[in-house]
Amino acid sequence: MALLEVRGLSKVFGGLRAVSDLSFALHPGEVLGLIGPNGAGKTTVFNLITGFLAPTAGQISLEGQSLVGLKPHAVVKKGIARTFQVVKPFRHLTALENVTLAAFLHERSRPRAQARAQQILARVQLSARSAAGAADLTLSEQKRLEIARALATDPRLLFLDEPMGGLNPTEIERACELVREIRQDGVTVILVEHHMRAIMRISDRIIVLHHGEKIADGAPQDVVQDRNVIRAYLGERAA
Amino acid sequence: MTRLLAAAGLLLLASAPLLTGNPFFQHLMIMVLFWTLLGASWNLLGGFAGQVSFGHAVFLGIGAYVTMLSYLSLGVSPFLGMLAGGIVGAMFAVPIGLICFRLRGPYFSLATLAVAEIVRLVALNWEQLTAGPMGLLITHLPPVSFAGATIDWESKVPFYYLAVILAVSAMALTFAVSRSRLGAYLTAVREDIDSAEAVGIDTVRTRVVALALSAFVVGLAGGFYALYFRYVDPDAVFAISLSVEMVFIAVVGGLATTAGPIVGAVVLVSIGEIFRDRFQAGHLIFYGLFMMLVIRYLPEGIWGGLQRLFRDRG
Repeated sequence: MALLEVRGLSKVFGGLRAVSDLSFALHPGEVLGLIGPNGAGKTTVFNLITGFLAPTAGQISLEGQSLVGLKPHAVVKKGIARTFQVVKPFRHLTALENVTLAAFLHERSRPRAQARAQQILARVQLSARSAAGAADLTLSEQKRLEIARALATDPRLLFLDEPMGGLNPTEIERACELVREIRQDGVTVILVEHHMRAIMRISDRIIVLHHGEKIADGAPQDVVQDRNVIRAYLGERAA
Repeated sequence: MTRLLAAAGLLLLASAPLLTGNPFFQHLMIMVLFWTLLGASWNLLGGFAGQVSFGHAVFLGIGAYVTMLSYLSLGVSPFLGMLAGGIVGAMFAVPIGLICFRLRGPYFSLATLAVAEIVRLVALNWEQLTAGPMGLLITHLPPVSFAGATIDWESKVPFYYLAVILAVSAMALTFAVSRSRLGAYLTAVREDIDSAEAVGIDTVRTRVVALALSAFVVGLAGGFYALYFRYVDPDAVFAISLSVEMVFIAVVGGLATTAGPIVGAVVLVSIGEIFRDRFQAGHLIFYGLFMMLVIRYLPEGIWGGLQRLFRDRG
């Protein structure tokens, strides 16, 4: 059975159809890449599934249970965590406090939540920076801090919105490694990413969105050769 | 260090009435404690969660009226009435929170301002209940005996000790919240509301709980006001100026700090009194000037600034 199932999902902003009749399923243990030109509706899909936006139409279900109408905090409790495209750390708190806040979801006592947060910071290689203010971290560190915060809620499904945006090649390499490790821990991952080489390498399957519609869904090597995909990215002549 | 300071403060508070028999100074000390209480409770929501309420006088007024009315019309002991005032204040806060916390940014502040005005106008015009602008008066407080002796309500000393208990409890509550999961959640709400939701914090419920807690304490303060002044009218207890003063105390003292409100109350009540003596209504100019200086040069408040000073040194 699919872990996450999306059927007929649509979102209309005024006259704009940001997401149009989107259906897909996500299987346990999979890494799914969501790509598409700017404005294709990728982040909107994330916001719809994680409860930050209410869909205009459609069904979203996690192991058969509907997620439509749940607030973001309730979706997190069901086991779906996310990061933001533009990082949103708790700026005046330290890295450790940032992750501890997330660990409080399953651990009421502060010392235990803190111990759990330390473990997760080590996991994303931020232990050395645990006492630093979140605002003082580099972008790469802030991106990892967001992932750590999401992991501290103990998700089954992790949504990463451009985890590699703005990173240099070495940092991208590390981020890919981290995604692989997270998946080995049994977390299903869905990610939006513009860095093609990275997403082709780490995804098991790729969905391509264009103007809010799904134009391709398949293995990375098949998707890059799809005529519709080439047309969407490069125009009619290239296809 | 902090413990030593707290112990010295408590000792000073406990012995202060022995140092002066002057009723004016006693009144000033009671006012400082009263404002500490209000500043501390405003701070629970405004300081920790960054939700700036401009309408906290609503809860003060409700506490004052509940205490007055339950004594005058139902004959309930005013001390139980005070507690009832806090409870009714908190109950009134819950629906306000559930509605207003769906609003983001400055809209919550504006909504609290509107609610405060609406309630003041209702209190002015609902004459069967509140006696309108005439106000309510208690001529005689029922005798209460404590440790075998009957308390003399004509003296200011028992009110002083009542104010000490309330203010210290409010500061202890602030301290407890700052160490609790609730405090951590409120900080998350202040820092980034989307991220707070993303880590599973119910940001509406968290803020409603903080508002209710804050309103409960302000309601108690309202009850204290009613007993101490023995007179309430809508413009005295629902005034916008009271709401704004609570914000000032918390900001000048230091947002989200335990000791900030008492520092803010001491400084602002003193400044108010010193300049009122010499400049009458003109004292507000100095008050305003002082506020501007603090916000410009000490945005973390006096206590916050001191804490930073000690941290940087040590």
